Amino acid sequence: MRHRLLSRVAERIYWLGRYMERADNTARLISVNANMLMDMPGRVALGWRPLIDITGSEALFDLLYGESSERNVCRFLTCDARHSSAITSAISAARENARTVRETMPGPTFEHVNDLHLFAHAALGPNLSRIKRHAALEGISSRVQRLEGFLSQNMLHGAPWQLLRLGSRIERADMTTRIIDVRSNDLLPPGLDLAPFREIQWRSVLGSLNARQSYQGIVGAPVTRPLVLEFLFREPGLPRSYAYCLNAIRRHIRSLPRHEAPLRACDQAAGFLASSDLGTLDRDSLHRFLDECQVQLGQLHESITETWFRVPEDTVQPAPAQGEMPFGNNGFAPREATLPKPEGSPR
Amino acid sequence: MRRLALARRTRRIDRRALMPIDWKQYEAAGLWDELVMPNGRARPGAGPLLRVLSRLTDEALSERAAAAELAIRTMGITFTVYDTGAVSRGARGEAASQPIKSGGIDREWPFDIVPRLIRKREWDAIAQGLTQRVRALNAFIDDVYHHQRILRDGVVPAAYIEKSREFRPRCVGIDPPQGIWAHVCGTDLVRDRDGALYVLEDNLRVPSGVSYMLENRAVMKRVFPELFKDYVIHPVDDYPQRLAGCLRSLAPEGNDAPQIVVLTPGIYNSAYFEHAYLAQAMGAELVEGADLRVGADDCVYMKTIAGRVRVDVIYRRIDDLFLDPKAFRPDSVLGVPGLMRAWQAGNVALANAPGCGVADDKVIYTYVPDMVHYYLGEEPLLANVPSYRCVEKADRDYVLDNLDQMVVKPANESGGYGMLIGPKASKRQRNAFARAVRANPRNYMAQPMLTLSTAPTLAGAPSSADRLQPRHLDLRPFILSGADIHVTMGGLTRVAMNKGSMVVNSSQGGGSKDTWIVDLAR
Repeated sequence: MRHRLLSRVAERIYWLGRYMERADNTARLISVNANMLMDMPGRVALGWRPLIDITGSEALFDLLYGESSERNVCRFLTCDARHSSAITSAISAARENARTVRETMPGPTFEHVNDLHLFAHAALGPNLSRIKRHAALEGISSRVQRLEGFLSQNMLHGAPWQLLRLGSRIERADMTTRIIDVRSNDLLPPGLDLAPFREIQWRSVLGSLNARQSYQGIVGAPVTRPLVLEFLFREPGLPRSYAYCLNAIRRHIRSLPRHEAPLRACDQAAGFLASSDLGTLDRDSLHRFLDECQVQLGQLHESITETWFRVPEDTVQPAPAQGEMPFGNNGFAPREATLPKPEGSPR
Repeated sequence: MRRLALARRTRRIDRRALMPIDWKQYEAAGLWDELVMPNGRARPGAGPLLRVLSRLTDEALSERAAAAELAIRTMGITFTVYDTGAVSRGARGEAASQPIKSGGIDREWPFDIVPRLIRKREWDAIAQGLTQRVRALNAFIDDVYHHQRILRDGVVPAAYIEKSREFRPRCVGIDPPQGIWAHVCGTDLVRDRDGALYVLEDNLRVPSGVSYMLENRAVMKRVFPELFKDYVIHPVDDYPQRLAGCLRSLAPEGNDAPQIVVLTPGIYNSAYFEHAYLAQAMGAELVEGADLRVGADDCVYMKTIAGRVRVDVIYRRIDDLFLDPKAFRPDSVLGVPGLMRAWQAGNVALANAPGCGVADDKVIYTYVPDMVHYYLGEEPLLANVPSYRCVEKADRDYVLDNLDQMVVKPANESGGYGMLIGPKASKRQRNAFARAVRANPRNYMAQPMLTLSTAPTLAGAPSSADRLQPRHLDLRPFILSGADIHVTMGGLTRVAMNKGSMVVNSSQGGGSKDTWIVDLAR
């Protein structure tokens, strides 16, 4: 096939991939946190705040809610239309992108995305009981998976598909580092006999990434911090490990034309991981390491945007307001009478 | 013979259980129905169709209608699944996801399952007339932008062109490939109550509807497969290839594999579905203005992930004035800055050519028969609806004296807007229109109110005796002009779904039907 993929269409497909993955990740995050809390001793107040930190949306949340109660946090992350990375917002944005590239995607794609959208808006409300919340989040994840499966089996594995996956994997790599970042903060008070609960904390990290079973199968050792870190960063066979995501990203980038700059950015991130000794990282240096990973993913995203989605003259287009929505990229306020454009900014 | 068979059959079946359609109950008195004669008999060629319909029970009819609706949905012809309310709930403007102004996008695509039928012999004559008409129109446009012979010879008053809203001085002296300006023309045909066929108007700017013609056929094949056995129905699905061929023939010389794009105003445009449909069917790219750039070399490029790619032919579905903010409306964000420059330099072909709307003016329309005489030296094969030019005193006086029987149209509106339908208007509306006509007579023309022909349409309530009722309709064939001229086999039949209404525009409650050109000799 000719490489006739329009930059505009390419960008929308890329964001479709990101938003789908984001909705799924957020749903997992909430489920796992809820599970973990039930296993924790009552006096340990891990609470729900970490989810706000993971998603990098402290400022907006504090502005809108203040108290990090379970209800507030869940509402903010699932269905608050003011929050551009809430599950419903991410799904709406995914649908908007899918809708504008309908003619590029396999026939029923939009119907699948629309189904996901209708489900999310019906199932996620501000006052969900825990039981219903669990079912709703499962429903979101399974629908996203179905859509992914449908696309990977029905879409020509050409440039559009590569971009879809590229977006999805960058989003996933980013989320993996965020989950580790927040969960690695040892919040348990020292001095008490809480070792079993420390393990719970790391088990929850594995759970967030659907990696418990794989950990047992591959590492086969008790759940400890260094082993978990090593596993989640370097395990090449684990679909949510950082290394796995970078490998996939590299493959997708290479399949696209004019890929030199993004490839360099990707290799830089991989090189950084390879040269890091995860075992020696203490709490603060791990945090710095994760920050650096996220910065590199941001640069990779920029490079992708510059290479494939923008052209030099494009500077006349108003740039998306960056920084307002820490976790959000979908600031597509309608421009004039034309399309709402999915506008990206790295977090 | 046929009639006899039908009668015998209806006698045999249990009327109550089946509720067969009794064509004698069909109220077509005083109308010209395309399928049923006033005495309840089938028009030539319609027999098998009416028979099949009569055999259907009420329930079966509903099933077919539901099947059509389902087909339309699964084929993705409508956006009915789309709902906007939920997302914007509670959203403040700043927080993204203000998705769509609902507007035209959610509209159900209205389709009636009873096809409209035209005999091939009659159609061939019509197609010939359309070809003749479009040749004359193209000759006229080319003349208007060059020597203006027809104006100088006084056949068409020069004042009309000077004051035309669609005349583009920038186009004067341009030579589009083969001298053709209107590559795609949608001409609306109507039949009056006496069966006479007239041209109602020629749409030369960005006529739409052809994708619905194609989809109507696809839906019919799913819903009434058995009818395709009874009839030799001429296919319509060669249109995208014909259009692609027509566009290819416009490419700058020596380019065997030109890059063709369809330029759309974007997803909010009511015809976006059609833009996407045609692009896909032609294997062309669907682009928006922002995807295109005019380079320093005055060539047009599209922005792709592989870099810029030269564009040779643009099938534009954007109005002239929005094409190029540098040449026309500076505030337009839909177009491509510098596009007119590239077109004037001959580096890109535009279909339809800018400025061709000058012939898509309801007053200029009244001169089309004269154009046929003037440019082709032929007798017009198709008649205009008798028309009055308000700028001419005698005509104007007649129109003003008979406003209650006239349809008065402004020169440059489309979509059925801004018209006065005299017999249905109030006295106040008529007076207001009379004032408008006197104030700006150039801007108006008038025609006697026609009674458009009808066809049976599924309009009555289920299990009512008059489930199929006559509804007024028109027909829009599409004519492609490139290296040669091609007329679609039939076209898009539009139906006024409301009883008694003659307004077929989809923006105002119109629906559509499949249009069959059938061979009777088998």
